[in-house]
Amino acid sequence: MSNQASTKPFAERAAVALRDTFLQEALTIATTKFIGLRKDSFAGFPQGEALRDRARAIKEATLQRLDDYLERLADNVERLGGHVHWATTGDEARETILRLCRDRRVKMAVKSKSMATEEIELNDALEQAGVVPVETDLGEYIIQLAHEKPSHIIAPAIHKTKGQVADLFSREVGQRLPADPEVLTAVARKELRQKFLQADMGITGANFAVADTGTIVLVTNEGNGRMVTSLPRIHVAVMGIEKVIPSMTDLMVFLAILARSATGQKLSVYTTLVRGPRQAREVEGPEEFHLILMDNGRSRQIAGELREALYCLRCGACLNVCPVYRQIGGHAYGHTYPGPIGILLTAMLKGDRAVKELAHASSLCGACHEVCPVRIDIPRMLIELRHRLDRERIAPLAERLVFKTFRRLLTSPALFRLSVALGRVAQRPFVRNGRLRSLPLVFAKWTRTRDLPPVATQTFTQRWKGLR
Amino acid sequence: MATRAEFLERIRREVRRTPGLFPASAAERPPRPAEARAAVRRQMAERWPEALERFRQEFERVNGLFHRAAGLEEVAGVIRDLAREKDAHELITWASAELGLDLRGSLESQGLSIVAAPADGRDDARGRYREAAARAPIGVTGADFALAETGTLILLSGPGRPHSTSLLPDTHVAIFGKDRLLETLEQVGIMLEALHLDAARSMSGSVVSFITGPSRTADIELTLTRGVHGPKEVHAIFVEAR
Ligand code: SF4
Repeated sequence: MSNQASTKPFAERAAVALRDTFLQEALTIATTKFIGLRKDSFAGFPQGEALRDRARAIKEATLQRLDDYLERLADNVERLGGHVHWATTGDEARETILRLCRDRRVKMAVKSKSMATEEIELNDALEQAGVVPVETDLGEYIIQLAHEKPSHIIAPAIHKTKGQVADLFSREVGQRLPADPEVLTAVARKELRQKFLQADMGITGANFAVADTGTIVLVTNEGNGRMVTSLPRIHVAVMGIEKVIPSMTDLMVFLAILARSATGQKLSVYTTLVRGPRQAREVEGPEEFHLILMDNGRSRQIAGELREALYCLRCGACLNVCPVYRQIGGHAYGHTYPGPIGILLTAMLKGDRAVKELAHASSLCGACHEVCPVRIDIPRMLIELRHRLDRERIAPLAERLVFKTFRRLLTSPALFRLSVALGRVAQRPFVRNGRLRSLPLVFAKWTRTRDLPPVATQTFTQRWKGLR
Repeated sequence: MATRAEFLERIRREVRRTPGLFPASAAERPPRPAEARAAVRRQMAERWPEALERFRQEFERVNGLFHRAAGLEEVAGVIRDLAREKDAHELITWASAELGLDLRGSLESQGLSIVAAPADGRDDARGRYREAAARAPIGVTGADFALAETGTLILLSGPGRPHSTSLLPDTHVAIFGKDRLLETLEQVGIMLEALHLDAARSMSGSVVSFITGPSRTADIELTLTRGVHGPKEVHAIFVEAR
């Protein structure tokens, strides 16, 4: 199941998404709602803009001394009795968890939503190793039962109807359930409560890690993050190295803008600050705490072209406003991280080549840059990425030829006029219902997944002259 | 696997290769957190009535249920009514010392059985508490801070104050007085900085929980539903006589 989607070319995945009417509607409703909530929330929060600047500066400042902060974080976690693991690659991170499971005879692991564990495709690996992974975020639980992947960072199951969820849950509990979100949520509560109490290991990501105090910060609305970190006897947190921040004072700056950007809440329902395992005389909490610090391609970008993408808080705001994401949803991107920032994060983790098609799945409208809480200039990095792909001749030959010719035409008015006149005649056999639907030769690929308006009967210059 | 030294060395090398995108510094911590904390307390000693009103508004906005009680007897009254409404016969609570009041006298006489968290982590006590926590319909805690700006209750875990009291039951009740009110996240930052430097307390527990209303989800067709994992109801009782 894992990478099924990504074996097809992007254009085909996108075409499938565009034909899915429920997905289309769900995406429009969800993203429009998130956009509105975010907007209202910042409208009543005049200090928001200054806080975004501060948050951005904190991220940059942290990267400038990332080695020191990671060291301080690790020292503090160890001082509190936790264990720190250094994973250069995703494989190493995954192996570390599997080894812990083997050594401690873990049979079931409950997880709270974590993009980092999606990144290393942990669930498949756990299953193969005989450990039952249980996603506990309701949206993640739904897609785990459906054997699918998240389609939105914040709302992983927005592509499922309540009818589909009812079918999945009915199968799980062996009883016919109504398509009522309230009833279904109650069923999930009961099912998952048992799992929280039974599981040997809790696995989480981290929204932030505070170097000064050795604290891991988890932000959730459901409370599953709290369960996962307090009930099982072992807690393992997996985080990308860029999640570290210096101090509690810094943390407050991020908390003030994170939920507002994601869902328009002032704060998410639960912000949980966890330090190490259970402390002396505490009644509960895990006996063991492990922190996995994962590089997996990130450090290459500290001095690289994608540095700014390391600021990302994974709030999802840039997905909601992206005209491309709004049309095709998360699955069509075919990788763990969807949306405009997802293209850059995929390039970071897997190299530029992995996104040679995706690099063009953006209109460069700049909406993502505008809403990003830490003002990441995503369009700039996408343009640079396209240049790199072009320079490295990763773009298809035909496309490069077309653009080369196009440049010639555009830079010579006489040639341009001639080509427009020719185009008007040449297009005739291909126009249907006022649209160009299938072009021959090198253009065939262009129209396989797109329609084009035909060349107009009069050029703008001609009409302009007529008007005067 | 890389060793810590190798891993950090690679990062250090990359960090040195670039001056960064622009000159930047992290947020400035209070240079003397204990003094900053004292200043916040002085401020709040004056401003608590406004903060309380703001807290109530924001707390209710996130579907919290706010109560005001004159003293212990009224607190017990609110809890008794709640238990009756929910047909609950069992409560779990923080240890009385941590709660700052002993509810047992006034509630047990009403036929409610109360399991208070043990003040230490001995295995048998832990097991008993955990069982009760898994089944009790109501959990009663204090609140170390009540943040007005967002309607948030902030709870520190520690001996006698388990995390699960505010998490496992369907209904969570938090009791606090005026000395717990804060206005801004920035003040919370100061308190947490001070707490972590405070050698005496030195954060005896492993968890700090920010709780902003009842547990919620909108994962099924964006329909807002409460109580998916954590409590379905959160009550805050403000006690005047504290
Ligand atoms: S790039 Fe910015 S807007 Fe997009 S998910 Fe990351 S932090 Fe949020």
